Amino acid sequence: MKVSRRDLLLGTAGLTAGIFFTPVPWKVLDDVSIWTQNWAWIPQPPRGPVTTKLAACTLCPSGCSLRVRMAGGFPVGVSGSPAHPLTKGALCPLGFAAHQLNWHPARLQEVRHQGRAASWEEARSAFEKACAEGPIAIVDGRSGRAASIVLQSFAAKHKASYDALRNAEEKSLAPYAKWANVSVSSLGYDLENVRTIVSFGAPLLDGWGVPGRFTHLWAERAAGESDPQLRLIQIEPKLSRTASGAWRWIPICQGSEELLAASLASVLIEEHLVPAQGPVPPASVTDAASQTGLTPAAIRELARAIVDRKPVLCISDGESPAIAALNLLLGAVGTPGGILPKSGHPLPMPPASANDKPLRAVLIDSTVPWEYVAPEGAEAFRFAAWDGGGSRAEWLLPAPGFLEELSDLPSPPTCAVATYAVAPNLLSTSAQTKTAAEFLLQIDPTLPAIDQTIRARCEEIFRARRGTVHAAKPASIASFESAAKLEQALRDGGVWLDDPPAHSPLKCSLREWPGNSGNRAPANWATTWAQPVLPPLAAKLYQESSLRETPQRSQS
Amino acid sequence: MNRHVLAFAIGLVFALVAGWVVFPRVLYSHQQQPVDFPHKTHAAKSGNADCDGCHPFNSDGSFAGIPKNDTCAACHTDKLGTSPAEAKLVDDYLKTGTTTPWLVYSRQPANVWFSHAVHVKRAGLACADCHGALGTSDEKRLYEQDRISGYSRDIWGHSISRLRRAPHDGRTMSDCEDCHHKRHIEVGCFGCHQ
Repeated sequence: MKVSRRDLLLGTAGLTAGIFFTPVPWKVLDDVSIWTQNWAWIPQPPRGPVTTKLAACTLCPSGCSLRVRMAGGFPVGVSGSPAHPLTKGALCPLGFAAHQLNWHPARLQEVRHQGRAASWEEARSAFEKACAEGPIAIVDGRSGRAASIVLQSFAAKHKASYDALRNAEEKSLAPYAKWANVSVSSLGYDLENVRTIVSFGAPLLDGWGVPGRFTHLWAERAAGESDPQLRLIQIEPKLSRTASGAWRWIPICQGSEELLAASLASVLIEEHLVPAQGPVPPASVTDAASQTGLTPAAIRELARAIVDRKPVLCISDGESPAIAALNLLLGAVGTPGGILPKSGHPLPMPPASANDKPLRAVLIDSTVPWEYVAPEGAEAFRFAAWDGGGSRAEWLLPAPGFLEELSDLPSPPTCAVATYAVAPNLLSTSAQTKTAAEFLLQIDPTLPAIDQTIRARCEEIFRARRGTVHAAKPASIASFESAAKLEQALRDGGVWLDDPPAHSPLKCSLREWPGNSGNRAPANWATTWAQPVLPPLAAKLYQESSLRETPQRSQS
Repeated sequence: MNRHVLAFAIGLVFALVAGWVVFPRVLYSHQQQPVDFPHKTHAAKSGNADCDGCHPFNSDGSFAGIPKNDTCAACHTDKLGTSPAEAKLVDDYLKTGTTTPWLVYSRQPANVWFSHAVHVKRAGLACADCHGALGTSDEKRLYEQDRISGYSRDIWGHSISRLRRAPHDGRTMSDCEDCHHKRHIEVGCFGCHQ
């Protein structure tokens, strides 16, 4: 029988149809999807004993405790450690996946100079030349660490300026530090004893402060209750996640927070809701109503609601002297449930220094956020583990990645009790990476080594005989036989927490009500809107956003 | 029969035979265990009728897994019998101190975190619920490895279609999810992929 072309085609059609009635397509699809996850160039942890180690996260200053699951010596999973007294096992989403960051495509693997591969020797020569020509600045994104001491010491010895950047949480404490003449890092919020929080745009439920600290409090005392133990009043133009979870959300016009704070203070004094102390704010309720979009009655009612349940604490998003002054008026400074000084703080933090002179070069530590822009004309030596847009820096210097660097973690910002932790380097670094501190130590070996500083700090804590080390089981400092054993406990993932601060006064003096910090929105929003300067889509968004002209403002 | 229908039917039958009979045989490679290990005989002779006699939980709650050479050496210090398997065990592994490279039928990939303690101690599952009659059989099973994915056949299950499977047959993610749904235990992604 002769097989025709049509027979072959029909046979092929039958074959094709039949294959879909077999497991072949589905099984092959499943297997191929697994196969693509196991290509040779995809990093695979080696097979080996599975262990769990405690460590500390260094991605931000919060220093959350980690439980790192290691397989064959490599981290394959990260979760929060419930032993941490502040985070209680909470971790931010980035922390949960942090062990993957070391294999991120943007991981820096080599020294780069103006986009081209270079060597550490060339970088060192260029930096030494810049130091000789001067002036230079060293920028630290997280002051107070042992590595910061290296940077600071180098700056002091080589007549460079040392700039410690502050994040929004630290900036919010800056006015109190200025008025009380103390350092920002020695202050913190006593959230655990507060009953009403007035947040002026601070993202309390969106990653503010130490992860888990406020969310635990909110979950235990506020979530889902009509009259919660902890009242959160969120004053913010947009319905953020914090605003949606708050007891009350007060939508106001963008940039009018400080004016509202001043008007609330004037209502509190007028209606004798607080003892009249300190300067009287110049703002009137009518002015504030026209700027904030609230009615005068609403502002007065808000002032009464704030003091209805004390202690009350106001928190700003960034530096805001007017909101700090409102806290002073409410008696929230230096009292439980307010802003407290850390007692027995063992780690003095350097003040931020400002440098207005044109710089020859700037060395930027890997803790500095990528938003930081080096001064115009300065040769930038940028340390980073991952390239976040460093093409603007002349020198891009690869820093150790996650769990690759021995570091220490002093008290996180906003925490009212001193803490100390050591982040061990669970992974060895490659020869191509260096921290900024190691780079400077190679140039000047007389600088204090990180190991030595950590040891000295542990000895200082041991001598003070205060606090508890929180690991698998909490152990008081008195139970440690030596500073070396304390250091080992911290290197094994323990966190030292100081005893709760005794009631130590924090004297803030304020002669006149502070002016606007400059965050205020332009008063001529309506004028701007009247003249169509925005592109159509932005104009539409503006019209439908909370920035638009409010009915109250239109009537006035 | 119409000639065209016949051509289509031949193609169809060929595909069905290839897919259901030939494909599973081609897909899996077969490997022998380094040493034949009859579970039933060992359980009877050692007096460890329960699985945790040889596969205990450590004091910290972790699962010991496959016994180390020390456990085997407790009885096999010298050769017990004249079988080639016995000679290989004693000469190649126990005397040299080399870890016996057992091929683990139920090994999960590295991105899966599985706690025996949680499933056995807390949920009260029996070993046979997942491992079948492995511990009560003297069957010398081949280790079948998927040539594409590299996984053991026990992960997908012995039924290539995954229809009419035994309850313990298959340990894919959907099998874990099904079991959890039945018991109303929700663990989320990070429960297993930590």
